[in-house]
Amino acid sequence: MLDNLNARDGSGDAGRERPRRASEQAQPLSDREVPLGGTATSEMINRWLDGEAPEPVAVSAESARQVDLWRRIEEESERRRHMVTPAHVKAQIMAALPADAPQIALPWWKKSIQVSPVVALAAAAGLVALGAAIGNSMRLR
Amino acid sequence: MKTTVPASPTDQLEVDQDIISRVLAGNRDAFSVLINRYSDPLYRHALGMTGSPDVAEDILQMSFIKAYQHLAEVRGRFDAWVFRIVANGCKDWLKNIRRTHLSYDEDDQPSGYSTPDEELDRTELRSDLDKALMTLAPSLREAFVMKHVEGRSYEEMADLLGTTVGALKMRVHRAREALQALLEEKYA
Repeated sequence: MLDNLNARDGSGDAGRERPRRASEQAQPLSDREVPLGGTATSEMINRWLDGEAPEPVAVSAESARQVDLWRRIEEESERRRHMVTPAHVKAQIMAALPADAPQIALPWWKKSIQVSPVVALAAAAGLVALGAAIGNSMRLR
Repeated sequence: MKTTVPASPTDQLEVDQDIISRVLAGNRDAFSVLINRYSDPLYRHALGMTGSPDVAEDILQMSFIKAYQHLAEVRGRFDAWVFRIVANGCKDWLKNIRRTHLSYDEDDQPSGYSTPDEELDRTELRSDLDKALMTLAPSLREAFVMKHVEGRSYEEMADLLGTTVGALKMRVHRAREALQALLEEKYA
């Protein structure tokens, strides 16, 4: 005969539950500690840090320590939030700027082009040759 | 009675555009107005991302010079445009530092921590927080620094980074989780 190991179906030791520890019985339901999964930051703490909820009231020693840790990190973040650029840096930036004014970016069709006389002559000769070739081909038809 | 009304984003945009026009017309000194207005949040971003004041100063300087050279290309908000230049500068620096610091441990820090005076000035938590931040992936560190150190809203972050509020919340939460895992043994 196989033992029924699944006592939850009610067919085994009916109505028998795991006996509660004394500490569980002493605490009200809302105060029972919900273990955090691994090192996950609890939803409560995230909501507090996101400004969506007030600072959580510590319900366990572990969560109290986590809240305290984040309070300290927030204090340090607050200190860093007031840091300003060292004065010499602004002067350094101004001194390092190029002397010329920034170039205004023009679309390609508005940009001027420079062509040397040799290039202009070569382009003209090319166009004449192209025109002659087209004329010849039309005459042949 | 005269009251001071804070400049709206539209006003700010117009003022910035006016300054940019003056700079493009040859008034080089007008650029200092933009530096004074925007350098502090940008410096905090670079410092938070690199952990080194020297590197943050270099990135800030290079970014403003680049912004000056390409000022004619600004379309829309100058602050968002220059933020992207700084953010990219930080990411490029992090890529290079990772290439040279393949195994990053407590004795293997970027140059900013190394002087004795700076070490004395920092409390243990400051130092540990910096070390912990350096172990985060750049995208998580960026989100954490923008949220916690720069004090930006998720909406503002989404606007600057071109992503969604949900994605940024996820990054910040993951960064917190990682930081907590690194720091809680000692502090919690």
